[in-house]
Amino acid sequence: MISLHRLTKQFGLQTAVDSLSLEIPAGQIVGLLGPNGAGKSTTLKMLTGMLIPTSGSATICGHDLLKEPMEVKRNVGFVPDSGAVFESLTGLEYLEMVAALYGIPAEAARERIRQFIAFFDLSFETLTDKLLGAYSKGMRRKVVITAALLHNPPVVFFDEPLDGLDANAAVGFKALIQTLAREGKAIVYSSHILDVVERVCDRVIIIDKGKLQVDGAPAELVAAHKARSLEQLFTRLTGGQDLEQKAEDFAKTFRP
Amino acid sequence: MSSPVPSQARTLQKLYLALFLRGRSSRGLQKDKAPQSIGRKLWGTLALYAAVGLIALTFAGQGTFALSIYLHAMSLVFLGMFIAASAGEILFNKDEAEILLHRPVDSRTLLWAKVAVLVRVSLWITCAFNLAGMVAGSLSDKGSPFFAPVHFISICLSALFCSGSVVLLYQLCLRWFGRERLDNLMTTAQVLLAVLMVVGSQMVPHLMIGMQGKMDPLANQTWLFLLPPAWFASLDQVLLGGGKPAAWIMAGTGVLATALVLGLAFGRMARVYEEGLQTLAESRPRKERRPGKKRFLDLLTDAPPLRWMLREPVTRAAFRLVAAYLARDRDMKLRLYPGLAPMMVMPMVFMVQSLRDKDGINWGVAIAAGYLGMIPLTAMTMLQFSQHWQAADLYRQAPVQGPGPFIHGAVRAVCIFLAVPAMALLVVITCFLPHGPSQLVTLLPGIIALPFFALLPGALEKAAPLSKPVEEAKSASRGGFMFLAVFLAPLIPALGLGARHFGMLSLFLLLEAALIAVGCWFLSRAIDRKAWDPLE
Repeated sequence: MISLHRLTKQFGLQTAVDSLSLEIPAGQIVGLLGPNGAGKSTTLKMLTGMLIPTSGSATICGHDLLKEPMEVKRNVGFVPDSGAVFESLTGLEYLEMVAALYGIPAEAARERIRQFIAFFDLSFETLTDKLLGAYSKGMRRKVVITAALLHNPPVVFFDEPLDGLDANAAVGFKALIQTLAREGKAIVYSSHILDVVERVCDRVIIIDKGKLQVDGAPAELVAAHKARSLEQLFTRLTGGQDLEQKAEDFAKTFRP
Repeated sequence: MSSPVPSQARTLQKLYLALFLRGRSSRGLQKDKAPQSIGRKLWGTLALYAAVGLIALTFAGQGTFALSIYLHAMSLVFLGMFIAASAGEILFNKDEAEILLHRPVDSRTLLWAKVAVLVRVSLWITCAFNLAGMVAGSLSDKGSPFFAPVHFISICLSALFCSGSVVLLYQLCLRWFGRERLDNLMTTAQVLLAVLMVVGSQMVPHLMIGMQGKMDPLANQTWLFLLPPAWFASLDQVLLGGGKPAAWIMAGTGVLATALVLGLAFGRMARVYEEGLQTLAESRPRKERRPGKKRFLDLLTDAPPLRWMLREPVTRAAFRLVAAYLARDRDMKLRLYPGLAPMMVMPMVFMVQSLRDKDGINWGVAIAAGYLGMIPLTAMTMLQFSQHWQAADLYRQAPVQGPGPFIHGAVRAVCIFLAVPAMALLVVITCFLPHGPSQLVTLLPGIIALPFFALLPGALEKAAPLSKPVEEAKSASRGGFMFLAVFLAPLIPALGLGARHFGMLSLFLLLEAALIAVGCWFLSRAIDRKAWDPLE
């Protein structure tokens, strides 16, 4: 479903993504992990057509990223970590605008929007009367997730999707993506919340400085690297040593 | 039966029009409140343009060509200014990349939708400005009953030409100079456009005097073929049925130029636009600094006189914040520098005009100095607005009573980084003029008044830097205030010239300095007393 071959992105002299190659089949939830600046968001932005790769290639649902960008975009849903929306539109106006961009008839779009707001416990009045700028962070995130799934894409990229969601919505969302994967969608889930990734994802990819470090099922990776948990494996691979000592030293600086 | 699928183009046009009318960001607003607030301001702006358009009545007796060329020249100036100010934000909005670039929207469709909205709003402005002229052209003795509909067609064409030209200019900059320097290029392009518009607007009166309402003098001057107002005014003549061969050629040039500009902007160069949009999604690493090397701003603020001027820590922090935004923030640069460009060009125009006059050098230099005050005034007015206005909540979280120290920091930054260099430039230019050094004294009335202008916006409104959404800048009352300020700016130097004529310049300068000092004290007190407004 998703295929990357030596995908690379450079910003000037800095290499953000370095020759990344991997395959993601349909029905799999893949956790994309890495410290800040590892290249996760850059990878997702390349796969959604927002950035042009410096070299390498990728295909999504058999469509080449560079040769058939429109086909790729039709098959992809993306929740960016910024959660950016047009703040001066109401939630409904925003979602109907997104639906129209994918060629979904207004009636069908309205019906699908109703299903999503029922799932996310949003009121229709909020969606019609309030501008998105007045939404809480969690409500806005729900609208962005709805916008990514409106056109029922076979491939979905989530960049920190739980950011701002309350506990109930987060539980519901995790169940949702597992159901979507069972129905054959390929899902890439980028997050810093490692225990959620460990529980939800079938497979974990850790990248650091743009390079792939490990790739496999969470339990297998933990066992293979003789780590206690995915968290310990992550910190070991990405240079996060002595974190407790550093925290203690820092806290000491606040003492009068 | 299933409901129809709205086209992408229509959907995007609807989106951009809504964004233009409501603004791009809102906080705590219900749907029914947001559009009205901006909409009302737009009506005010249109009323202002309609009022300014009444000047066209003075050309009504000169025949349709003279009236038409005046209307087109001024319309192109206003349109150019409006499009130059809006295009950067509409064409290259950074947040938009995250919302739209991963969706199946063709770059050409996106570009057309944006330009369609730009053209539509441009037409509202142009129609408001041309209203009086169109009525006069249709009803006056030397006019034609068909002038209004014919002129409407030609202003539609000129709006398309103007929008297409701005888009094409950006695309050419991107293509020739690369994506890395997009932000600075856009700022430069807009500044140049603004300069061009101001210079163009200064040429119109001379052109009008030269042609004395007749078409014939134009036919012998081939350089006029280069001026778009002449093309579109000739189109009016041709459509009214009174076109001579020269008018046919110029009208044809206008139509062809518009077609060429649109063809290039939306055809061959549309791909460049997409690349430009993708650039916005990229974040390039800054150049590494040598370890231990101090930033320019640190050097500046650590040394006298700024060290003394910025003793108060909040004022100092606000100074640094404003300095950073003046130098680095894309949105600020795109709005501020093109807005300041006319304030820099107008003095130069006055100086050049006064060179023709043997004894006129005095007034040129003096009036130019009068416009110096407009630089901090304009900058302080614009600095209140930022795309990051919500971050200004930080001011309230800090234990500071009101916006006063932030405003004082901004005033100092604006004076140091904008007004003082402009003043130095003016002094240098004056020195190079014939008898220049002896004219330096005529700069003083304008220079002395400068702090008063700098403090004025902060005292009149809560002009805390970067604390209001950009959309609020589109205000008719603010436009009217700036309009008034531009007319009043030369008043003080004019009085100074009068005093010099009567040999009382020293006394005048003393009196002015005393009055300005008192005025500044009151303004400064007003700023210090300001308290925070409650959040919405």
